[in-house]
Amino acid sequence: MGRRAAAVLVLPYVALLLVGGLGPAGYAVVKSLQNESETGFGGLSSYRRVVTDLRFAETFGNVALTMVIWLPLMLLGVVGLALLVDASPGRFGTTMRFVYYLPGALTGVANFMLWLFLLDPGQSPVAFLWHGFGHHTLGEVAQPGNLPYILAAMLFFQGAGTWVVVLTGGLNSISEDLLEAARLDGAGAWGIAWRVKLPMIRPWLGYLALLNLAYGFQLFLEPQVLSQVTHGLIAPQWTPNQLGFSYAYQILDTPMAAAMSVILLTVTLGVGLLVVRRSGLFDDER
Amino acid sequence: MPVNLGRAGRILTLLLVAVGFAYPVAAFALVGLRRDDGSGPTGLSLGNARDSWHTVLRFNDGVVLSWLGNSLIVATGGALVAVAVGLPAGYALARLRFPGRRLLRFCTLLTMVVPNTVLVIPLYLEVSAAGAVNNIWVVALLMGFYPFGVYLTYIHFRTTLPVPVLEAARIDGLSETDIFRRIALPASKPAVALVGFFSFVANWTNFFLPLVLLPLSSSTTISVGLPQLVSSSPLFDPTNAAGLDVRLYAPQLAVATLVTVAPVVAVFVIAQRALTRGQMLGAGRR
Repeated sequence: MGRRAAAVLVLPYVALLLVGGLGPAGYAVVKSLQNESETGFGGLSSYRRVVTDLRFAETFGNVALTMVIWLPLMLLGVVGLALLVDASPGRFGTTMRFVYYLPGALTGVANFMLWLFLLDPGQSPVAFLWHGFGHHTLGEVAQPGNLPYILAAMLFFQGAGTWVVVLTGGLNSISEDLLEAARLDGAGAWGIAWRVKLPMIRPWLGYLALLNLAYGFQLFLEPQVLSQVTHGLIAPQWTPNQLGFSYAYQILDTPMAAAMSVILLTVTLGVGLLVVRRSGLFDDER
Repeated sequence: MPVNLGRAGRILTLLLVAVGFAYPVAAFALVGLRRDDGSGPTGLSLGNARDSWHTVLRFNDGVVLSWLGNSLIVATGGALVAVAVGLPAGYALARLRFPGRRLLRFCTLLTMVVPNTVLVIPLYLEVSAAGAVNNIWVVALLMGFYPFGVYLTYIHFRTTLPVPVLEAARIDGLSETDIFRRIALPASKPAVALVGFFSFVANWTNFFLPLVLLPLSSSTTISVGLPQLVSSSPLFDPTNAAGLDVRLYAPQLAVATLVTVAPVVAVFVIAQRALTRGQMLGAGRR
């Protein structure tokens, strides 16, 4: 029934999926198995060159350090704010939620521009903070050791509001009867938040954690532009994605760039599989 | 009075966090209203913002306008493709049975949760093998691959288009493509607005893809261009900027950023209106 119609409706999308998703991924796998001069099969030699590059472990270390700071900040911050907003009925709660969402309008490079201005002690409205740390120039604030904290703060500032909106949406859907029953059982505001509300939004929390974990591996814009404007004070290859970019664009070693991409794809696909299969959010098929 | 103490603490926490989110944004917007020609910032006025914008326009003979134009092409073009291709695909996934449906749904979910920047280098390898680097239409087409949009329309049709309605249409002898054109399409306005909005914003703020696929300075987008403005500002590179006739300080950079954000806000307003109108149409029919 309607097979031909389905084909007509779906084919353009399938074509784009091939050209924009599966195709390049497959091509990267093929390219990564070529030898250095791209003249023939090279086995895993390009992977060996990538993994033995001293910066390889370093970039993953940088990402890990950023995630160790960012993920707990994001989880605790977003869940805490969502619960507090949910406990604030009426206009006050919705206004607060809107304000948290506000920086989300400044995504990508715009958010970066805002942060550049925040981080520069010569311009910043929070310059007192940097002076308190003993930093008096942008170079001192944005020194490599501070970068994980700066990135964590940047990403939280930009993304937290969206997640507060998502989670309060989930909290809203908890039935009033359930909350009433908990109240009759003598549960206080804390008890309800901890034992009723939190378990109900668990799938979203898993989704949040995993999606942001995958996001960490693809960090590019912020460290890239920060390195550009601080003139190399921060290594231009600070994250794995930046390293892959330099293989493709500076060293011009295509197999290495492809190998790096395949490694990143494997990691993020693994996380993505967990999200799709295990988070319970995409089981909407009957 | 432990209850009131908790209430006060909750309200105070929410307000403090709100200040943390809103203050930097407000301070940044105010910088755009100042004047600074190298001797330090002065008072606030709209005239200052206008003058700053004229200074930005003089940078490299108005290259900012080309960047904005290119951003408009890729963001609008990508959004149009995403809607035109995603709508029928989302409908077919939601309401038609065809071989490979589950696989297609799985690929869509997976490409949706994997961060899109991990595919940028593979896309670059593919596009440069095809000799299509620096082609703005290729970038627009690739941005049109938007699995999240397909998932949104899938959810939309599953929740708003009841199966009995389709059954009735089939009994009336309508072909599957006719059902899509005459029943599904007219009911898809909210999905069009959602997909159009999200994909436009994602394309407009995309940094990595245009950086790699549109490497020529004049043919790139505003996301890639803004950091170039920063790099040539005397604030961040005094030696290089001394040789330039256009000096960009914090107010000029802030105005350039705010102009960059404006289309995102405008599209948000338009999409929101279309969304509420769509809901009203649905309510009227019921």
